[in-house]
Amino acid sequence: MQHSLKRRNETDSCFFLSRYRHRSSMATLNLSSLQALSSHRLCSSFPQNTPTPSFNFQLKPSINPRPISLKPYVSEKPRARVVALAVKSLGDTEALAVSPENDGPAGELPSGAGVYAVYDTNGDVQFIGLSRNIAASVAAHWKSVPELCGSVKAGVVDEPDRETLTQAWKSWMEEYIKDSGKVPPGNESGNATWVRQAPKRKPDLRLTPGRRMQLTVPLENLIDGLVKENKVVAFIKGPRSAPLCGFSQRVIAILENEGVDYESVNVLDEEYNYELRETLKKYSNWPTFPQIFVDGELVGGCDILTSMYEKGELASLFKK
Amino acid sequence: MGVTKEEVESSLKAKLNPSHLEVVDTSGGCGASFVVEIVSEQFEGKRLLERHRMVNAALEEEMKQIHALSIKKAVTPDQWKQQQESNQSNPAA
Repeated sequence: MQHSLKRRNETDSCFFLSRYRHRSSMATLNLSSLQALSSHRLCSSFPQNTPTPSFNFQLKPSINPRPISLKPYVSEKPRARVVALAVKSLGDTEALAVSPENDGPAGELPSGAGVYAVYDTNGDVQFIGLSRNIAASVAAHWKSVPELCGSVKAGVVDEPDRETLTQAWKSWMEEYIKDSGKVPPGNESGNATWVRQAPKRKPDLRLTPGRRMQLTVPLENLIDGLVKENKVVAFIKGPRSAPLCGFSQRVIAILENEGVDYESVNVLDEEYNYELRETLKKYSNWPTFPQIFVDGELVGGCDILTSMYEKGELASLFKK
Repeated sequence: MGVTKEEVESSLKAKLNPSHLEVVDTSGGCGASFVVEIVSEQFEGKRLLERHRMVNAALEEEMKQIHALSIKKAVTPDQWKQQQESNQSNPAA
């Protein structure tokens, strides 16, 4: 009762409905137990007899500009739940297609904060998440697992504080569990498919700000600092994502296979790493590329790294 | 025209006095890339990096024209003997 009164007061005091864009930060809640929802169900079952005018006004911003209505929208619900103040129910929300033809997955989705549900092409719910930027989160999902992103339902939450977002998410989760009798696959405990993925590849390092900038320290000093400040540095021909010679490719494959954290420098980058090749040959007393440094010392080229890899000596080398 | 296989062999023999040497031109004869296997007492007590440096130094002049040098083997006569015996006892290898 007290909680309900508090909620109503907050609603009455809302003179301005504000939404703000926040730097993309996805908050993913995996359902750890049904007990929380059980207690929540007791609260949510409390009926709200008379919707106030501000209640109707509150719903307006969450309506999509171009709604795709498949069933008539009932503007007045006699037994609306408390959380309906923040977001429409999952069943009443229109689904938006996620496909490249729609200017990418973020084309029609709202970029505000709220809750969203991802459906696959069969119309099955794969994941229900909450986000500060729904469009950005769905775009990330699309990039990560496009085969599971057929359409999305989005519920924008005004005044998206943590509690309101969580309540909206819980209401959609509860509604889905009630209808289907199970948890969405993506929300099951231990499923990491929908967690924001870390960047797959580090960018190559650059020694200088560019050709148009005058160096204030000799290139040798930059090289020396670089190999000593980073545990593993590979000077290769081409970028690490697409090495331009077989030896560099082989070195990158070995380092990736070892799972070691390493930096890479493209010695063919004439804009940011100009004059690096000749300087590095003198610095390391090694005439060819790739060159691999560990703990500030040259290990060798592709042959030596391959030899150590085949003898199983790399693990101890990287652990020193 | 690049370096000839004979020139590579000659430089390595003169400077490292190998008991076994094998040089393969992997660039189809135009002398741009080579694979080297070399056995020498001068590698005794040297770690792999230093051995490769010795080979690079022996080919200092040729390296100016070589695009790729692959040193597949740089071992002492004792290591070479062990590898030979190991290969004999295991023909499948």
